[in-house]
Amino acid sequence: MKRLVLALAALAFALPAAARDWNVDAARSSLGFVGTYQGEAFDGTFKRFTARIAYDPADLAHARFDVTVDLASAGTQNAERDQMLPGADFFDVAKFPAAHFVSSAFRRAADGGVLADGTLTLRGVSKPVTLTVKFAPAGGGATLDVATTLKRLDYGIGGGDWADTSVIADAVTVKSHLVLTPAGG
Amino acid sequence: MPLRSSDARWGALAQFFHWTVALLIVAQGAIGLSMVEMATTPAKVKVYALHKSIGLTVLALALLRLAWRAADRRPADPPAMPRWQVRASRLTHAALYALILAIPLSGWLFNSAANFPLSWFGLLHVPSLTAGADPALKALARGTHEALFWILAAVLALHVGAALKHHLADRDDVLARMLPWRTRRASASAGDPAR
Repeated sequence: MKRLVLALAALAFALPAAARDWNVDAARSSLGFVGTYQGEAFDGTFKRFTARIAYDPADLAHARFDVTVDLASAGTQNAERDQMLPGADFFDVAKFPAAHFVSSAFRRAADGGVLADGTLTLRGVSKPVTLTVKFAPAGGGATLDVATTLKRLDYGIGGGDWADTSVIADAVTVKSHLVLTPAGG
Repeated sequence: MPLRSSDARWGALAQFFHWTVALLIVAQGAIGLSMVEMATTPAKVKVYALHKSIGLTVLALALLRLAWRAADRRPADPPAMPRWQVRASRLTHAALYALILAIPLSGWLFNSAANFPLSWFGLLHVPSLTAGADPALKALARGTHEALFWILAAVLALHVGAALKHHLADRDDVLARMLPWRTRRASASAGDPAR
């Protein structure tokens, strides 16, 4: 018995060290974007996304974000726009149903904030992306706020006639607020 | 031409409001009816933006026009005009004023409920009338905007028809006194203080 406990303990230490795993409380979390249409900002949300989060502010070396976004779940509170978003000119969800972000490394910025470098794959294009990360413990859980600014034309979103940035600006801010609960109970 | 209207003739400001709004209404009708048929492209977005900007201009001109009309006088009706025609003309004009206010307003409401941005020629941001998208109100405002346009078309036909009848059949100066250039008829009546 003693040997078994020791064996298990040895096994536990032998496992690769991982930053703390979290579950995402989907009902209280959001992922969205802010675009500019005819010079005016508009908000979009993705109703369906999954985020696998391993994060410990004291152990950034083992932090990891892996986020998959169902692009067909995008909504911007405008029927005409929402009808166009899944189409071939924009997200082209028939060919590219999901966007995927996976982190590669976390680092401290000069201002002390945390940055997550990673790769975003969107509409068949993979590009390096850096997220700003704000992590705040709250009770037994935590909140995580991330944001970045993309250029939609880098990913071919709104190509052809819609490349006209006087109608839809190139820069799009993507932001997410996640409510985290401890994984594994 | 004096700025103010006289008993015999509409003044320069009243004529400016009348003919500018007349021109913009014709342009808006043409743009509005053709833009809805366009394929969804940035060109369509720009034509819609133009329609909205002109509509806001009409709304502003209508308000200025009503304010000026309150301060200005109205040329007298021809003495030979029957009472029912006087009443019909007052009613038609009241309807025209109401429509040039209500049509831009219903368009603004439609745009707001559809949750589209609104600006006046890209120069001036115009706020929404609703708190975000409202599909039921959007459908109502759209129907109202379109119905009011067709009512305007009918009332305008009456207005133009009546003006031509005054000019061609009654041979009075009702049309001539709204023209920027002097016709013999308007000059004759303007120079006749006995009328």
